[in-house]
Amino acid sequence: MSDSYIEINNLTRIYKPSSKVSVEALRGVSINLEKGEMISIVGSSGSGKSTLLNILGGLDWEYEGDIIVDGKDIREYDQNYYRRYIIGTIFQTYYLIPTLNVEENILLPLKFGKKMSSKEAEKRLEQLLDEVDLKDRRKHMPKELSGGQAQRVAIARALIDKPKIVLADEPTGNLDSKTGEQILDLLVKLNEKEGTTMIVVTHDMAIADRTERKITLKDGKNV
Amino acid sequence: MVKMFKYALDLVFRRKLRTFLTSLGILIAVMLMSFILFGMSDLESLIVGQFTQQFKPNELTVGTTDMISLMGGALSAPSKQDVEREEVILNSEAVENIEGIDGVERVYSMLRISGLEMYLEEDEVAYPRGFPMASNIPGDHSLIGGLLEGDDLTLEGSEVYVSDFVSQFYELSNEEILGKKIVLKSSPPSVFSAPSKSNIDKEYELTVVGVTDSGNNALFISLEKGLDIVVDLGGYADKEEYINSVGYSQLLLSTDIDRTTKIEDFIVEELGFSVMSTETLMAFVSTITGGLTIALILFGSISALVASVGIVNTMIMSIYEQTNEIGIIKAIGASNFQVLVIFLIQSALIGLIGGVLGLSITYALMRLSDPFIVDLLVNEGFDVGNFFNFRFDYAIYIALSSIFVGILAGLYPAYKASKLDPVKALRYE
Repeated sequence: MSDSYIEINNLTRIYKPSSKVSVEALRGVSINLEKGEMISIVGSSGSGKSTLLNILGGLDWEYEGDIIVDGKDIREYDQNYYRRYIIGTIFQTYYLIPTLNVEENILLPLKFGKKMSSKEAEKRLEQLLDEVDLKDRRKHMPKELSGGQAQRVAIARALIDKPKIVLADEPTGNLDSKTGEQILDLLVKLNEKEGTTMIVVTHDMAIADRTERKITLKDGKNV
Repeated sequence: MVKMFKYALDLVFRRKLRTFLTSLGILIAVMLMSFILFGMSDLESLIVGQFTQQFKPNELTVGTTDMISLMGGALSAPSKQDVEREEVILNSEAVENIEGIDGVERVYSMLRISGLEMYLEEDEVAYPRGFPMASNIPGDHSLIGGLLEGDDLTLEGSEVYVSDFVSQFYELSNEEILGKKIVLKSSPPSVFSAPSKSNIDKEYELTVVGVTDSGNNALFISLEKGLDIVVDLGGYADKEEYINSVGYSQLLLSTDIDRTTKIEDFIVEELGFSVMSTETLMAFVSTITGGLTIALILFGSISALVASVGIVNTMIMSIYEQTNEIGIIKAIGASNFQVLVIFLIQSALIGLIGGVLGLSITYALMRLSDPFIVDLLVNEGFDVGNFFNFRFDYAIYIALSSIFVGILAGLYPAYKASKLDPVKALRYE
């Protein structure tokens, strides 16, 4: 066993939409990450980026191969625990809950677990609002936010429970290049400050170039 | 759990109108059930109470016509048999026969006298309701209802008991009316009776010696006086002729309780009279109220069923609408069980909202309508303080049942929601 923080070994995912058809979305992907590292995964659509992200995010467990996080096969985790405390996810379309305000959206993950006391949660919220610069928008509803602001809310939400790994799925995909830049600046800053391992999936090479390492997927394999 | 509850609450109130419309079904079911619980049981005990006050289990009332059908219970067409039966009369021979039955302890003959108007002395207004009843039933008997005022338990000569309704009508206290004169005057011919020479301008003067608690049974006189009046009024030669051609209206039998049913059967089958007993009366009352209750429960259950289909429908709709959101909360760590609970809380809340609204409306309606219903019943001679009896313990059961119906209806949708594949749910447009 190597001393990498995340080891993805020979990851394969075959979809079988019907008995006659099978699609190999991932064909033996292997990636190693150091703790606190920030990498990007690039590739054209259909290259297997989303499939990899779903598996890493704990949304899809029907894969072959192994994923070791912090020395432990993720299959050994309780799936809910894994999604709740190991992984924080940022989506391209933010996925904020429209009827909850900024604060409530950020605190939403805490509704499903009780790791943090309300005092701690309050402190963490203040800290994150400060980091993502949304202190003056805390009571705003998602529809009152710009795309960049909404994505900052989503980033704060992904980090509220202090996950070990943050997965960002095309985090700048819906934003203009300047705002996208700012979001990436924020992710870089948080990666340094919080020491969270980050995996950014993107097809934007300018974004990918900002990360420490770039992994390219093509036809379900890393090249 | 509290946090999840708040979240489910948020989901329910996000669509206020739909939540309200869905809960309407439960609301209607709850209203129906509440009326059954708070109204029907009281209706039955009210009627039963009213009759058991007047009739004792060992007493039988013998008459010539089926009294239950007279009470509006005639559910079948008249038959020739009924007409033939009406030809039997309660004459001296019949009374003797009945007196001779083993187990009959006491027979009171009773006469209902019609065709008379009743006035208080020096008052021009006739008392509008009820017939004079002639019998030798003592004043403390339950049929008369007991004396509120006066201590003369047997009526003689021109003595009369009036009910407290009469003293109220003439705006006198029960004490004040004692010793007053009551004048019975023959009614002017009406469309219902052919004018007869004998009953024109007849007047009978009576003296009040007691006030009874008998409500609409306004007037009691002795059997002798009653017979005098009907003989005079009808132009009969003597009492014998009247009794043997018209007969008494009713007999009240006091019997050995062990033989009451046998006596009843004997009189009906062998002598051909109608008998009303506490037992037949109770059976009649509970048939009516029981039928009504079953019908209402049926309606209530059907509307509860329709309501739960409504909830299922709404919840499935909201799964489609919330698919993305279910994906999100699953992605950020909600377990299948938590999603299930969130959806169950939603449907339970819809049930609860319907239940509480339904109970509130029912409560308001009952409070508003109760005085009118009580008025109506008191006018009909029932002794009631209130009709609907809103019981908060029942209300809690009803609210709990509506939550239960909500949860039951939410089971399938909640299960469906909890099993959503988060990957597909996130991609769902």
